[in-house]
Parts: sequence; structure tokens; C-alpha cells
Amino acid sequence: MSTTDHAHHDEGSYFGGPPGAIAKVWQWMSTVDHKKIGVMYLFAVLFMFFLGGVSALAVRYELLDPVRTVETMNEAGEMIQYTTGERLSGLQDIMGAKNANEVYNRIFTLHGALMVFMFIIPSIPASLGNFFLPIMLGAKDVAFPRLNLLSWYIYVIGCLFGVFSILLGGVDTGWTFYTPYSTTTDADHWRVILMILAAFILGFSSILTGMNFVVTVHKLRAPGMGWFDMPLFIWGVYATAVIQVLATPVIGITLLLLVFERVMHIGIFDPSMGGDPVLYQHFFWFYSHPVVYVMILPGMGIVSELIAVHSRKHIFGYRAIAFSSLGIAAVSFLVWGHHIFTAMGELAAVLFSGLTFLVAIPTAIKVFNWIATLYKGSIALNTPMLYGLVFLFTFSIGGLTGLPLATLATDLHLHDTYYVVAHFHYTMMGGTVMAFMGGLHHWWPKMFGKMYNEKAAILGCVLVFIGFNLTFFTQFFLGTQGMPRRYANYVDEFQTLHIVSTYGSWILLLGFLVHLGTFVASLFAGEKAPANPWGGLTLEWETSSPPIEHNFHHEPVVTHGPYDFDKVVPPHWDPKDYPLPENPSSH
Amino acid sequence: MNIPMLASTNASFTQRLIFGDHGASEAAAWSDGLFMMITWFSVFCFVILMTLMVYWVIKYRRRPGVASQPSPHHNLNLEILWTVVPSASMLVFFVLGVRGYAMKMVSPESAMELKVDAWKWAWKVTYPNGASSPETKFLSLKDNIETMQDGDSWVKQTGLEYPVFYVPENTAIKLRMNSQDVIHSFWIPEFRTKMDVIPNRYTGFAFDTPKLRDGETVIDTTSMMPIAGRDMWIFCAEYCGDEHSRMAATLRIVPQETYDAKIKEWGTPKDPIVLGESLYKTMCKICHSVDGTPGTGPTWKSGNGFGFGYEAALANGSSAMRDDNYIRESILDPNAKVVAGYVPSMPSFQGQLSETDIEGLLRYIQSLSDRDPNAGQTDQENQQADDTAGSDG
Repeated sequence: MSTTDHAHHDEGSYFGGPPGAIAKVWQWMSTVDHKKIGVMYLFAVLFMFFLGGVSALAVRYELLDPVRTVETMNEAGEMIQYTTGERLSGLQDIMGAKNANEVYNRIFTLHGALMVFMFIIPSIPASLGNFFLPIMLGAKDVAFPRLNLLSWYIYVIGCLFGVFSILLGGVDTGWTFYTPYSTTTDADHWRVILMILAAFILGFSSILTGMNFVVTVHKLRAPGMGWFDMPLFIWGVYATAVIQVLATPVIGITLLLLVFERVMHIGIFDPSMGGDPVLYQHFFWFYSHPVVYVMILPGMGIVSELIAVHSRKHIFGYRAIAFSSLGIAAVSFLVWGHHIFTAMGELAAVLFSGLTFLVAIPTAIKVFNWIATLYKGSIALNTPMLYGLVFLFTFSIGGLTGLPLATLATDLHLHDTYYVVAHFHYTMMGGTVMAFMGGLHHWWPKMFGKMYNEKAAILGCVLVFIGFNLTFFTQFFLGTQGMPRRYANYVDEFQTLHIVSTYGSWILLLGFLVHLGTFVASLFAGEKAPANPWGGLTLEWETSSPPIEHNFHHEPVVTHGPYDFDKVVPPHWDPKDYPLPENPSSH
Repeated sequence: MNIPMLASTNASFTQRLIFGDHGASEAAAWSDGLFMMITWFSVFCFVILMTLMVYWVIKYRRRPGVASQPSPHHNLNLEILWTVVPSASMLVFFVLGVRGYAMKMVSPESAMELKVDAWKWAWKVTYPNGASSPETKFLSLKDNIETMQDGDSWVKQTGLEYPVFYVPENTAIKLRMNSQDVIHSFWIPEFRTKMDVIPNRYTGFAFDTPKLRDGETVIDTTSMMPIAGRDMWIFCAEYCGDEHSRMAATLRIVPQETYDAKIKEWGTPKDPIVLGESLYKTMCKICHSVDGTPGTGPTWKSGNGFGFGYEAALANGSSAMRDDNYIRESILDPNAKVVAGYVPSMPSFQGQLSETDIEGLLRYIQSLSDRDPNAGQTDQENQQADDTAGSDG
């Protein structure tokens, strides 16, 4: 693709370069170009999303019916006993599990660990962030390109540790590795340690990428770009990078302590060796709560771009959105206790409840700002914008259903139930994944120089929206009615809701398959993308699609804000029927 | 700040749709009321936001030749308004939440204290007089009832039996909970409260049992007759391993007289085999079968290398005779001798079982076997073996 356009920039176009498959692979594997690294991250995280998605479907499949033992007489008149509802028991021998419940426990652990550590944490920052952060700043690359490549390799090594642990049978600790269960289960096996080390190694990748982005934002902004001229996507990724640098070392140390306890029997968390199991939960959530915002802040950044560009409006309350990103990043370090309301003293619980409500406010402000941005816009209902609107719908539900969890009285009922499962899927998936899908469709033409079939993509988006809500809205009711999470089996009265949820997961699968088809078709047969298909004003739309090596022919100078749609004529844009501002130099 | 309307006695249709039942205590009904208040607030906000969004998306959809119209990039008054209103609402929820939390955590001085013990994978409740419930019931009414199918073949669905814990109606109860192994969580959905059960630390919460309403009956597990009572689920809510989803129990609210009679009955001495069998059903059955079915632990049925009086092949390559001392050690220090093919996952029952209980279990296990390894030993050997076992316990 696009080799003819930029023949003199062979290394800059992805599929150019010297002939020979090995040379081509080596060219990719040794690249320090942030764009290629971003693309490699994109494929890696999408592969992990696929694996995590398969395990999610397996979890939903097992939960179609409750497990029952049935006694009956066979034709020969002998009494036989069989079990119904253990739908994953076929995997028992392959995984070397003791029983069907353990198969289920390993698969939900797999789903959580893959989705959190290998997909959603690196998803937006490492793929879209890597590709677009330097370009949107007008820089040639990130501040430390070689370190960037190293981060990718560390990420891949971490994933390999995880996959290796899975191939050995997987672990049943839950992705949270709660002690003393995690330090005592499968005591004779290395699998658990491999999985813990996977998370430990992935942490380094996170820290290095975060450091790289922080320095890039501070040092490599184009001339004329002040802090408040940065696109809001950059603000989101910047706030994320700060959290990654500050919080990840804590989980690193904690996971190492876990390994020490398992291998050397040093009692840190296990009370039978003199440790404190709740200490682990504090350490763990001190990292893992801020990481919730590592997941969502870049998504919020993307949504700010999507809504502004596709409604051709200046974002409403730019500074409020930018500062609320930093505010969320700061407060996120003070609210970890709300994951452990049922394991802490009364005073601590009251304090953490109050602090948790604080974090709700900047999030609410962002949603108000996005909706206010639509006012008097010119709203194009294409796939990126639809995903932006889907985000506003699902993420609002995710945010509002968090309120009863921050409220102590109601949390005592809802904690560790399907209500919590539904809530965090509405924020993680309804928030981050929807934003990621929107961002991917928004920037796909820029990244690969190809357009995709808009109708097919819209169909995918609608299927994902319906499937997602069917799958997870039912789970709020399961939770309030008394269904605990992480259950391989359940009492009869919950079956109807479980069936609806599982059917929803199949529609969700269909939606993602449509997207996969659209993207593959686009890569191989897509129409050539113009430099600026949407009329964006941020710097990535000033260069070609895909961008040349080092991004720009000349260092760009920023003369307008990222959302001045009513004042500035977007570069390289052929708007067909859209009237451009008549006085382009008013800025 | 008393808001009695939060604890209305008649749950609304929406409330019943959401919770499926009515909170069983005033604190539970109150927290449901608070949940509904937050939910209606959320629905209100959500509907406004989505209405604006959809309305503007339709009204301002892109039309040929029409550009977006300029409007202010920010509006201080509007932004102050939409910061202050949510903040004030949050403050209300926070304060009410703390109040409801206190209702669920604080109990009167006179409250009856129940001791809750947890381990992988069972619950045990000890009453103030030291007794604990030996009764169990099946998962659901459909279980253990034979049904005819296709004319002549019959099908019997068997669920697991779960322990039944009795509490008197209209009584303040507080729980003191402790785990023998990993972290569990004691959740009674109808009281809308759960608390983690942690090793090496006591946790707890409080609830008031409701007065029984007319016509509320349950099947008494000893007489199989209907008696006045109300059953509630108890679930483990903190992931604890293989049988996490079956770590359940039933809380049975009964009139004070029934409760007193049960407690008295459990306190009186029993035939050891009967005692052993009831302990088996409440504490051991989730891992050990008595019919040869494989489980997390070895079956107690004799034959095929299992059962009392049969030699056990151990994981370390040696073997051991399953006699009184072996069983005793396996109850008190389960990981000392692990049978080949099993992983050391049983918690110690040291301090959980009295000498009478252990004797009951021994005689029950023995009653399942056709062999008696103790028969050939002299009294003196038995005495020595007891001393050895006692010293490392």
C-alpha cells in the first residue's frame, strides 16, 4: 500500500522496504518508528482481546444452566448418575483440572488477567497513543524511540509468560491474586508464579511507555503549541502516563512479595505464617484502582476528539475537561479502599466512601461537557461518532451505577455480586472499549491509508451496542437479586437472566466479527484514504495517510487551537457539501 | 437525620423487580429505599442527558450546505451549576450511606452473638450454649424428589445438602466471624449485608430477624412436617476456590419455642455414629463422598484402596493404614499424610471439633467400612499411638 506515493520514504511505509520476508519482518522488529511500534502494539493487544473474548464467551456458555446431578435408571435397569450443566467439563483433561468447577475458575481468571493486564491497560495508550501522541504534538517521534521499542518487547515477553502459564493449564487465583488463596492454591506448580511474573513484567512495559510519553509531552510540543493548545486526547494520555509511572512500581513490589511468599514461604500475607491477608488487598488496590483510570482516561481523550471533530464544534469547556483528567488522576490514588469495604474497619470505610464520591464529580463534568459540545453542531453519524454516542450512553450507566457502590449501606449488599460485574463492564467495556473502537475507526484511515466500508462498520457498531447491553444490563438484576460473582453454579431462580446474558454475548461476538471483516477488507481492498477524511484540525491530519517517516516534511507550527472549526479551514479536506468558514485567518 | 420513608414496608413494583423480594429487616428495607433513591436520581440524570443527546443529534445532524453554528466555548455559571448540584447530591448519598452502614454494623448490647466459622467449603454457626446445627436441607424443592419420565423410567435430581442454621424470630443478632483458611465472605442477601470472613481476625455484622408472617412455613428436616419458619440463602461472596459456588447455607427463622427446642436437642448427647453422620453432612460432604464418587478429597466408601481399614497410598510414595490415629491426624493436621492423587487443600479442624465430635466422625467412618484395623491391636499399642498423635496436634 502507498508505496508509490512515498517511494523515497521506503522505511516509512509499512509494507515497503527490501524484498524478502525475513528482511521485512526484521525491519518491523527492529524499528524505532513510533508509528510501526504503535501498529505492532495494536495487533498484539487486539490478539489479546481476542483470547480474552474467547474466554469470556466460555464463561457465559458455562453459565447457561445450573449444575445438577441426576439419578436415573438406564435401559438395562441399572441405576446411573450423571451431571447436567457442566458445559466446560470437556476441557478438564486438557487443562489438567481436578473438576469442572476448577475449569471454570481458571477460565474466568484467564479472562480477567488477559483483559486487564494484556489488553485494556496497554490498549489505547500503547497503540493509538504511540501512533498519534508524537504526531498530534508535531514531533518526529517519542522522546526515547529505542526505549519505546524495548517497551514493546517487554510487553511481548510478559504476554509470553502469561500464555505459557495458560498452556501449562492456567491458574485459578482470580486476576486479583487475593491472598492467602493465591499463595496456597496449586502449591506444587509453577503456573501461578508464571502468571504473577507476567503481570510483573508487563508493569515495566507500562512504566517505560508512561515515562516516554510524559517526557514527550513536556519536551517535544511543536512551536506555538502551549499546554492548552494540546488536543484533549493528549491530555488523557498524559494523565494516564503519570498514573502509570507513579502506581505501577507498587504492584511490581507487591507481586514480587507474593512470589517470595509462595517460593520461599516468607510470611507476608498468609496468616498461618504470621502475615496479614488484607495488607495484600491494600497494596493491590493502591495500584489497581488508579489503573482503572489508566484504562478510562485515554478513552475519555478519544471521545473528546470524536465528538468535537464529527460535530464540527469547539469542545465545550476545554480547560474543565483537561483539568478534570488531572483531577481524576490525583484523586484516583486516594480511593482504593472502596474495593475492600467489607474487609476494613468502620472509620476507614467511611473515609474511603467520602473520597470515592469525590472522584465521581470530575467524571460527571466531562459527560456534561461532551453533550454540551453537540449543541448547534453539524453532526455526522458515521462509525466514529456513533461509537462516541454509544460511549456516552454506556459510560453514563457505568458511572451512575457506581453511586450505590460508593454508598456504604448499599455496597454491603452489592459488593462482590454481579452488580459489580455489570458496573465495571459498563465502565471498562462500555467506556474504554467503545472509545477504543471509535478511535480505531476514526484513525484507521490515517494509520493504514485505507478507508473501510462505512455501512458494515455501522452494522457492527449497532450489533455491539445491542449485544453489550443485553449481556451486561441483565447482570445488574442478577446482582441485586443475590447472585455472587465468580460462581460456576447457581440456584435455579437466576437462570433466565443468565440465559439472556449469554445470548447477548453471542450478539456481541457477531458485532466484533463484522468489525474484523470490515478491517480485513479495508486492508486488502479498501479505497485509498485522503489525508484528512473527517476535516480534523489536529496535526495528524496535516500529513499524508499513512504518515511519512518522521511524520512531517517540515516541522509544523501551530497557529490555531485543535477545535477551532468555525474559524479555520481544515488542511487537505474536501468537504463536498460542507460550507467552510469564509474568513479562515480570523484566528 | 431520620428518613423513615426510605424504609417503607410496601416495596414498589420497581423495587421488587430489582431485588426480587423484600428486605428482611428494617435496615435492609432502609438500604433498599436508599438504593431506589439513588436509582431514581440516576434515571433522572440519565434521561435528561440522553434526551438532550438524541434531540441534538437529530436536530443538528449534518445537512448538505449547513455548517455548525458558533456557540460559547464555556459558560461559567452553567459549569458551576453542574458541579455544585452533583456535589450536593453526592454529599446526601454519602451521609445516608454512612447512616445505613451503622444500622447494619451496630447491634444492641443484648444482641445474641453467633460465632461463624468458615473454611473451604462450609459454614458452621455456633450458638451461645456451644451447640451447632447438625441439620441440612437440599438445594431446592425439586431436588431429591423422584419424578417419572417417559412412562416407566424415573429420574431423581440430587442437589447438594446445605446446612440449616436456626435463629429465633424478632431477635437482634450479631455475628463474630473467623476463617480457618482463605478469605470468605458471609452474605445473607435478604438482610442486604455481607462481610468478609478473614483468617486470624474477627469480623462481623448485625441484623434483626423479622417477625414471621402468617402462613410462612418450611419443612422441618427431622420430622419432615411443615413448621412455621422462613428460609433465607447464605452465600459465600469472596472467591475461595473449587467449590466456592456451592459454599452456601440456609438461615432459618423460626419461632422462639422451635429455636429453644432445637438448641436443647442438639446439646444432648447422641449415638456417636448419628453425630458423625450429621457432622459429615454439614462439614465434610462437599469434598468427601460416601458412595465412591470422586471428589476434592478421597471417598470414605471402602474398597478400591479407599475406606477405613484399608491401606492408603500416600503422595510421598509411602503408605499408611487408615485407622483411628490416621483419621484423627488427617482431621487435625490434614497435610501431614496426603493420599496419592490428591493435593493438600484441606484446612485443619483443630479447635473446630470437640473430642466427642472426632469420636463421632471416627465411628461414622468406621461404620461405612467392612474392616476394623483397630481390632488386632492391644490396648497398650493404642495408648502409645494416641500419645504420638496428641504430641504433634
